[in-house]
Amino acid sequence: MAEVSLKHIYKVYPNGTKAVNDFNMQIEDKEFIVFVGPSGCGKSTTLRMIAGLEDVSAGELKIGDLVVNDVEPKDRDIAMVFQNYALYPHMTVYENIAFGLRLRKLSKEEIHKRVVEAADILGITEYLGKKPKEMSGGQRQRVALGRAIVREPKVMLLDEPLSNLDAKLRTQMRAEISKLHSKLQTTFIYVTHDQVEAMTMGTRIVVMKDGFVQQIDTPKNLYNYPENKFVASFIGTPQMNFFEGTLCKTGEEVIIKFDYANVEIKVPYSMLYKAKPAYLDGKTKVYIGLRAEDISLASEEDNNKKAVIKAVVSHKEELGNETLVYGDINLNGGETESPTKIVLKDNSGKEIKTGDIIGVALNLERIRLFDKETERSVLPRVPEYNYLDCEVKNGKLCFLGAELGLPQAVKCPDGKYQALIPANAVTAGGSIKAKAVSCEDINGVKLLSLTLGGKRLYAVNADYDGGETVNVGLDFKKITLIADGKNIVEPMPENSTLSCKFVKRKAVKTEEINGKSKRVKTVNFGFEINGAFFAVSDAVSQKIFAALGMKKALAASLKLECRAEDFAVSENGIAAEAEEFLNFGGEKFIRCKAGADTVYVKTEKEYSGVVYLMPDFEKAGVVETERDIKII
Amino acid sequence: MEKKKYRSKKVSERISLVLIYAVLIIISLIWLIPFFMLIILSFRGEQVGMSADYLFPKQWSFDNYVKLFTQTKFLTWYGNTMLVSAVVTVFQTVIVLMTSYALSRLRFRMRKPLMNLMLILGMFPGFLSMTAVYFVLKEINLTQNLFGLILVFTASSAMQYYICKGFFDTIPKSLDEAARIDGASRHTIFVKIILPLAKPIIIYTVLTAFIAPWGEYMFSSFIMLGDPDKFTVAVGMKSWLDNSTLASEYFTVFCAAAVVVSIPITALFIWLQRYYVEGITGGSVKG
Repeated sequence: MAEVSLKHIYKVYPNGTKAVNDFNMQIEDKEFIVFVGPSGCGKSTTLRMIAGLEDVSAGELKIGDLVVNDVEPKDRDIAMVFQNYALYPHMTVYENIAFGLRLRKLSKEEIHKRVVEAADILGITEYLGKKPKEMSGGQRQRVALGRAIVREPKVMLLDEPLSNLDAKLRTQMRAEISKLHSKLQTTFIYVTHDQVEAMTMGTRIVVMKDGFVQQIDTPKNLYNYPENKFVASFIGTPQMNFFEGTLCKTGEEVIIKFDYANVEIKVPYSMLYKAKPAYLDGKTKVYIGLRAEDISLASEEDNNKKAVIKAVVSHKEELGNETLVYGDINLNGGETESPTKIVLKDNSGKEIKTGDIIGVALNLERIRLFDKETERSVLPRVPEYNYLDCEVKNGKLCFLGAELGLPQAVKCPDGKYQALIPANAVTAGGSIKAKAVSCEDINGVKLLSLTLGGKRLYAVNADYDGGETVNVGLDFKKITLIADGKNIVEPMPENSTLSCKFVKRKAVKTEEINGKSKRVKTVNFGFEINGAFFAVSDAVSQKIFAALGMKKALAASLKLECRAEDFAVSENGIAAEAEEFLNFGGEKFIRCKAGADTVYVKTEKEYSGVVYLMPDFEKAGVVETERDIKII
Repeated sequence: MEKKKYRSKKVSERISLVLIYAVLIIISLIWLIPFFMLIILSFRGEQVGMSADYLFPKQWSFDNYVKLFTQTKFLTWYGNTMLVSAVVTVFQTVIVLMTSYALSRLRFRMRKPLMNLMLILGMFPGFLSMTAVYFVLKEINLTQNLFGLILVFTASSAMQYYICKGFFDTIPKSLDEAARIDGASRHTIFVKIILPLAKPIIIYTVLTAFIAPWGEYMFSSFIMLGDPDKFTVAVGMKSWLDNSTLASEYFTVFCAAAVVVSIPITALFIWLQRYYVEGITGGSVKG
C-alpha cells in the first residue's frame, strides 16, 4: 500500500534511443493506473523500471517514501504479473505460489495459510497440485495473479496480463482483476495496448506514444477532453471523425469551413471562447474532430438548422442495437481514406442504402479542434492565454474598457497592441472589477470565467468565493504585447539557466582530535559555475549520481535551472553583472549577466555593477545538456 | 468429360514409405557393419593373426575376453579412463552450464567479442597446443599423471558453451524476472529455475563431456608417453597395433576390448535418454 512517484524519469538506451522521455506522475495509494499506447510507446519499459527490471537512466523513482532507483526488485516490495504468465513449469501451482514466500523464509504454516487463501480468492484451490502445462490460459493467469497477491505487495504491476487470452475470457478476467483491486486495496499499475481495457479498469489512464506521455487523466476526461489528436483517435471506437478545415471569426460568429468539401457551418463565438485565438483567422488549418455518437441522421426538424450537412453513404455496419453508417461529406467523394470521411452511430433504424445522400446533424457542443501541425488541442480545457486587443496610452494599458498603470519594468511606446495574457496572470485582488460567469474545477485547477467590457476573460483563481463580481489585476511579468506580428514586450522567463559542471573537490583540513592535530582529507561534491565552486548537500549529489552514475556525472555538462525567487544576492556566489532593474509593481527583479547566461533575480533593492548570486541548490532543477534530460 | 487417372493416395503413400525405409536400411547397414564385425570377431577362438578373410569364427569362444582381463593391463587402463572421464564430466558440465547461463542472461562489456573468441578458439583442433601444454605440465610435474590429463581436458570446457547457451536462450527471460521479483538471487534462479528446465541440455553436456576424454588419443598418448600404467584405453589399445607382430597377436583381443569400451557410453545414454527426449518447458509461458 503505497504511493509511487515518478519524477523526470527517462530511459535512454546505450545507442541513444530514448524509450521514455520525462515521465512525471504521482500515483496515489490504492489507485488503479493504466498505461496505454501502441506497441513501442515505452509503457512496458516504464513499468519494468518501476519493477526494477530495467535501470532508470535519469530521474527519481519513489515507492512509498523510499527512492528506489538503486534498489533490487525483491526489496521494492512489488509484485508483477507477466504477459506470458512466467510460471515455473517444473513446479506445481502450489509451489509456484509459495516460491516467493519460501525465499522469504516464512514458516510452513504461514505459507500454507497464505497460499490457500490466495487460491481461494482466485478460485484455483482444486488445481493446487497440478503443473502449469495441465492448465488452460485463463487458469494459468490466475496462478500468476495468485503468485503476485500472496506476497501482499505494496504495488501490483501487471504487464499486458490478458493479451494472451481469448476475447470472452479476457472480458471475464478484466472484471475479476477489477474486483481483485477493490478487494486487495493495493496500488495497481496495469499496462495494456487495449483501450477498452484501459477505459474499463483504470481510475486514471496514462496515454503514451513514442516515449512521451500524451495525457494523464480519468477515463471520462480522456474521452471528453483529449489534449491532442493522438489521444482523441486512440480512445473510443469507432475512431473519432477528423475533418480538415479552418475557423474564421467574423464578429460574434465563427465560420467552420470543411476542406475538400463544399461545407460551411456558422456557430456563435461563445461556443469557441476557449479556442486559441490564433486559429480563428480563417487561414490556419485545423483538424475538426467529432465522435460518431455526436453525429446523427438529421430528422425533419433538424433540417433547417445550421449544423446539418449532407453526406453520401459508402457502406454500413449493423451491430444489432445500432448501425454504424460510413460516408463522405464530399458528395463526389471516393472510397479512399480522406479527411472527408464520416462515420456516425444511428439507432433510429432508418433504412439506408449505399449511395444514398443523407442529412447528418453535428452536435457542435462536443466539437474538438486540433492544430494540423502539432496535433495539439486548439480548444484546451484551461485556456493558456487570453487574447485581447489593447492600447498603451500615457503609461497606461487600456483593455476591455479597463485601465491599468504600466509598471516601470514594462517599457513600450504608446500605440495599439495585441496582448497575450496567460490565464494565471489574471490575479485576484486588483483594481479591475469583472463579472464572474462560471467556475470550473479542472483536475485541481480552478478556472474562472469572467466577463469584462462584454468580452470573456479567463483567470486561474484558487480563492474564488462564488461572488458575482471579482476584483482582478494583471501580473505584468507574464504578459506579451504584440504589434505587427512582433513581440514588443516579452514575458520574463520563469526559470533562469546557468551552464555548470558537477565536480569533485578534495580538501585537506587540519583537525584537533584528542589534543593532536591531524590532517583529515575530505571530498566535497558541488557545482562549478563560472569558475566558482559551490558545494551541495549529500541529498543533491545522491540524486545526480543516481541519475547519471559517478563517472558520467563528473564528465557531463549540465544546466542549472533556477527560479528568480531562489536566488539570493550575497557576499559570495556567482559573479554577475547587474544589467537592469525591473519593477513590476509588486515584485522587483534584476536582470544579470553571468558569463553567457542571463539570470533573473528577485530582489527588493536596486543593484548595479557586479553582484554575487547564491542559488538555492535544493530547489534548483538540473538538466543534462547533451541528451537534454532533466535529472532533478 | 475426359476422366483423369489418379493414383490412389494410399498406394502412393505406401510406395514412398517403402522407398524411405529401403534407403534407411541401407544407411544403417553401412553404419552397423563395422560394429557388428567387431562383436563377431571378438568371439573368434582360433589364432589366425590379423585376418578378416572370413567373418564368422570357426570356433566360438570367450578366450579373448579372458585374455583381455587376465594377461593385459586393460583393466588398469579402463580404470584410468573411467576416472579421468568421470571427473572431467563433472567439472566440464558445471563449467559449461555456468558459462552458458552467464552468457545467455548477463549483459556485460565485451560479451559478444568474448563469445566469438571462444567460438573461434574452440574450432581449432586441441592438439595444436599439445607441445606447449606438455611443457607447462612438465614444469609443474604433471606429466605421466592422470591429474594432468584431467586438467587438460577440463581447461577448455567453457568453449563448449555454444549449444547450451542456445538452449538457455529459449527459456523465457520473464521466468528469471519473475523469480527476481519473487526474491531469488542469480544463484537461486540458476539452481531452482533454470537447471530443472534444462535437463535435456544437461544430459547432452554430460554425454559430450564424457565421450570426449573416453575416446581421446592424441593428448593422452603424448602426456602419458612411456608409462603404460597410466595409459587410457585408447592409448593402450593403439599400442597393440604398433607393429605387425603385436597386431597379429592382439587382433581379436582388440576387438573384445572395443566391445567392452563401448559399454559405458551405451549404458550412460540408455540411462539418460528418457530425460533427453522429454521436452520440459511446456506450460511455462503462453498456452
